[in-house]
Amino acid sequence: MKKGFALLVALLLQVCFAASVLTAENIKLSFMFWGSPAEDQAIRKALKDFEGANPGISVTPLFATYSGAEYDAKMKAMSESDTLPDVGYFGGSFYDYASNNFFLDMTPYIEKEGLKKDYLPQTWLTYKDKIYGAYTAAESQVVYYNKKTLQDAGVALPPTDYKKAWTWDQYVSAWTKLTIDKGGKHPGEAGFDPKKVVRFGVFHETWDQMLFPVVWSNGGDIFSEDGKQILIDTPETIQAIQRLADLRNKNLVMSSPGLTEYNSTSKADPKVLLQNGQIGFYVSGQWELLDFAGMNFPLGIGALPIQKKPAQLYVSGINVIFKKTKNPDAAWKLQKWLMSPDKTLDLYAKGLWMPTKSSWYTNKEDLAKWVNNPAHPAGFKEAVLDSMTISRVAPARIKNYTQIWSEFVNPEMDLIWLGKQSAEVGLKKAAAKVRASGLLQGLW
Amino acid sequence: MTFRKDTLWGWLFCLPLALGLTIWVAFPLGVAVVMSLFQWNMISPAKFIGLGNYVFMFFTDHLFWQSLYVMALYTVLSVPLQLIVAFGLALLLNTKAKGMGIFRTIFYLPSLIPVVVSTALWLWMFNPQYGYFNLILDTLGLPTQEWLSSPDMVIPSLVLMSLWSVGNIVIIFLAGLQGIPKELEEATQVDGGNAWHRLRHVILPFMSPVIFYNLVMGVIAGLQVFTQPYIMTNGGPANASLTYVLHLYKQAFQFSKMGYANALALVLLVLTIVLSLVVFKSSDKWVYYEGDKK
Repeated sequence: MKKGFALLVALLLQVCFAASVLTAENIKLSFMFWGSPAEDQAIRKALKDFEGANPGISVTPLFATYSGAEYDAKMKAMSESDTLPDVGYFGGSFYDYASNNFFLDMTPYIEKEGLKKDYLPQTWLTYKDKIYGAYTAAESQVVYYNKKTLQDAGVALPPTDYKKAWTWDQYVSAWTKLTIDKGGKHPGEAGFDPKKVVRFGVFHETWDQMLFPVVWSNGGDIFSEDGKQILIDTPETIQAIQRLADLRNKNLVMSSPGLTEYNSTSKADPKVLLQNGQIGFYVSGQWELLDFAGMNFPLGIGALPIQKKPAQLYVSGINVIFKKTKNPDAAWKLQKWLMSPDKTLDLYAKGLWMPTKSSWYTNKEDLAKWVNNPAHPAGFKEAVLDSMTISRVAPARIKNYTQIWSEFVNPEMDLIWLGKQSAEVGLKKAAAKVRASGLLQGLW
Repeated sequence: MTFRKDTLWGWLFCLPLALGLTIWVAFPLGVAVVMSLFQWNMISPAKFIGLGNYVFMFFTDHLFWQSLYVMALYTVLSVPLQLIVAFGLALLLNTKAKGMGIFRTIFYLPSLIPVVVSTALWLWMFNPQYGYFNLILDTLGLPTQEWLSSPDMVIPSLVLMSLWSVGNIVIIFLAGLQGIPKELEEATQVDGGNAWHRLRHVILPFMSPVIFYNLVMGVIAGLQVFTQPYIMTNGGPANASLTYVLHLYKQAFQFSKMGYANALALVLLVLTIVLSLVVFKSSDKWVYYEGDKK
């Protein structure tokens, strides 16, 4: 009788186990993200690997190209139609959604697994002491150049130590030497025709976050710490922005805005221009390394120009789990997977991300795993990695940030880049408009 | 008995349209009217603020006036030009030259290309450094332009692009032209009239209802222009191509001001109705209908 009972229990357990496997196989997650075609491929592979390691969970990738606020608009439409993904990247309006209870509180998971201290302190995004998001990665600004272009033009390669980088003027003089028109003349030489330039010295991205390190390096700022003041009309900020505008209008070492601004889908890709030798330098984000890795040319990395002091930016998209997910445990598993460089090494080793896990910077073995490869050219460690120690996180908690920038600052910036007004006039106008708009409401 | 049956059929045939109008037009319109009185960001509960959105629109939002101006500028420039170009093309395509079928196809072809595709192509042609337009200007020894990146040139550039896809208007004009009685044109010739007389006294009067139709449709389309500036310039530089609907879209989907966007949409609706009425009223003066007793 007893034996029979034990057998019955065993049988029941078996059935339960089988059932759990069966139900587990039904877990379906969706992951939404943006990026370049190469990022699309890389993320898809990471999701496939996750499926392989977690039988019973399948992940549907939902890819959207990122152009300005378009990703946010898509999210909004999805939230209205109740078709939000389970896990995904998240853009500019993180706190709007966090305050409206759209995200799963990750705190219990993180505490249970004791994860918090393993990651860089800025990684976790909290709202009212609950963790609703995590920075996808650590990302920063980088000076890229085409080694061959520089060598052919007889321009010295820039230093890689972020503390001993070229000054702004030294960079400008290198960019001037590289800029060349149809007649072989450089800016400043008699007969130089800025309308017939065959190679520009540099292309510097000018979307909001790409301006921060330039402004910070000159001792300026964009917003006050409490988010209640706009500081774009301080002398330091004005000077830094004017320097950037001068690249186009005075130094003549950068192309007119029409080539690259406004539109991300149809613009001339600066990476291709760099490869072709149509520009000498390109200042953008470190994530470009992923795309560069697939392009066959000698890529070089320099330290960011120093004005008054070295500066660096910590920028990243955010990962969230949506509260409406039917499988929070599985969703957390996926999120944790994406944050674990040992599981998703490719995303780091191929240049897309830098880890958020602290030990991957401090532990020499781990560091070597993602840095020692062709995707990370010589100088990456000194110019980028080491500079992360002085990096500042891009302002994310400022209320109405997107609207402030898009409606009031950007239009004036357009005219500054076009040389139709000075940085002083434009930024003072923009600041006055922002102050009058009532949108400066402090931090979330 | 048959009467009742007919009535039933009548109702049945009306039903799809009536239901469609109710579900897809009247109901959303009603919702829009109500929502325009709310502050609503789509993710938290809506808050009633009365006419607050309208007050903000007229007294605080400087981009409202800017976008109205951009919309007006685009409409005023594009509609007459489109009509003239399309009418000219239709006249040419109505002649009896050899291979006319091929020409008609070629001129209609651009209208078949999805607007996103054609817009992307034009972006390249407008490119100040590598684009065709500047290449052509440069080859001819003319000064090159900044096209979309200049605040003064961006709307004229968009208008120029709109002329590329007038195929639909051409087709309507062409149909109209073929309906003009031959004997009247011949009568002008017999009376010693030249081509100008024919155009002025026969073709234009006969075509006036068609021109009127295209004018109304053109104005409405002009007021609603969105896709081209959205893809090409995102309203820039310096809001010089921020059309009304693009402004509305940004408020709704980028800044989460859905209530305000609804208010903007309703103001546009009123504006469209008023402008259409003006055009209709003016039509008494210049549109000629055969068989009209005056």
